[in-house]
Amino acid sequence: MMRRAQPALGTLVEISLSDVGNEASRDAFQDAFASIHAIHRLMSFHEAASDISCYNRASVGAILDIDAHTARVLSAARRVTELSDGLFDIRVANCLVALDYLPAPDTSLPAYRRQKQAYRLLPGNQLQKLSADWLDVGGIAKGYAVDCAIAALQAHGVQHACVNAGGDLRVLGKPQAVAIRDPRQPQSMAGQWLLGDRAMATSASYFSAKRVNDEAVCALIDGRTGKTIQGKRSYTVMADECIWADALTKVLAASADVQHPCLRHFAAEAFII
Amino acid sequence: MIVIISVPVILSNALTTISMTKLVPLSLIALAGFSSTAFATQYLTAEQAQQTIFPEANSFKPLPLQLDAAQMKQVEKLSGLPARSVAWRTVAAYKDDRLLGYVVFDEVVGKFELISYAVGLQADATVQQVEIMAYRESHGFEIRNANWRRQFVGKTAGNGLVIGEGIANISGATLSCAHVTDGVRRIAAIVQVALKK
Repeated sequence: MMRRAQPALGTLVEISLSDVGNEASRDAFQDAFASIHAIHRLMSFHEAASDISCYNRASVGAILDIDAHTARVLSAARRVTELSDGLFDIRVANCLVALDYLPAPDTSLPAYRRQKQAYRLLPGNQLQKLSADWLDVGGIAKGYAVDCAIAALQAHGVQHACVNAGGDLRVLGKPQAVAIRDPRQPQSMAGQWLLGDRAMATSASYFSAKRVNDEAVCALIDGRTGKTIQGKRSYTVMADECIWADALTKVLAASADVQHPCLRHFAAEAFII
Repeated sequence: MIVIISVPVILSNALTTISMTKLVPLSLIALAGFSSTAFATQYLTAEQAQQTIFPEANSFKPLPLQLDAAQMKQVEKLSGLPARSVAWRTVAAYKDDRLLGYVVFDEVVGKFELISYAVGLQADATVQQVEIMAYRESHGFEIRNANWRRQFVGKTAGNGLVIGEGIANISGATLSCAHVTDGVRRIAAIVQVALKK
């Protein structure tokens, strides 16, 4: 097995290839990492030139040209928001800025109001800003980037691989062991799964938990209330594509329901530790 | 080996209580009270990292870098970070006599992790590529828990554990790479101050 890792998407991204020789693997690695970095540049909350930052700085009513990848992620986010009745919402950027998990863009902090339509996607990859909200696709774009990297590997004829973006991962081909952290002791593993041709993502508070104004907070936000999800549990979802696994961990965390209809809609399996 | 189990599953001997949807393939040792301490992953040696970053290079020359006090100050001003160290392990990459760029090696420590990485920069100090060389988690934790190694005995690739390489993949909440991105910014400033042509 050949493994490489690079910093991207605010975390470490690891790609492992099981079945290719040296020469072929070099190009496969290169294109797969390039696709990850491309998604990072397009959708990072931190990069001033990203599509997301352009939206966040724009005035209400503005129409922006965005990349087809960004349009796809925003369309997918809208779908999950609707199917989860607002449990998942990329407008939680407002809350993440308020808790100092994200830096404030150069406008004043918008209040978080449940289920407001923040944007409209127009034909030709155009995006209209409908409300004075900020967006953060950190809860869905990592999964999408993993899917793009898998597609890049497949284009090189790779049949067996794994792409892992800081814990959101997808296995291509034959099953691989995936360990899941123990949420109460994240340096240890609670157990492991064999995952083949499927994606898995886990959300939990163990790396983001902190205190703000004497209140325990974390970077997991309930889209209905804009409040932090409490408790030392972790939420794991398996789906065919990592974009869905990634987004649905937030639905699972907010609902605490492994049978939530939104999970069933995407044929996703889930567990809570 | 894959075992299909039905739900819900409550494992009383584990620290964890788990409920699942539908039928889920589960590896034999999964969640059955098994708790292992992770782990170290070696991705690239220094030689492999420099060749990966500069595949066309045919020679690499060590270029030990010593910053003087004035340079340290400049680095701090440029990067907004403490310069941290006077000496930096650096190589220059060449194709024949032509300088392609530099590779600087560094390590950063996070809350749980120790990360070794290599930063490749062009001769004008533009960052070209960052490669993680090794990732070690919970250093020190192993020492406090002398028994942890025993848990690996008898577990081979067949049941999912890859001895010596750590566990293949970990699903978990995202671990921030802020330390690495800070480190890369510092190194870019160092090369700009000390080596930029």
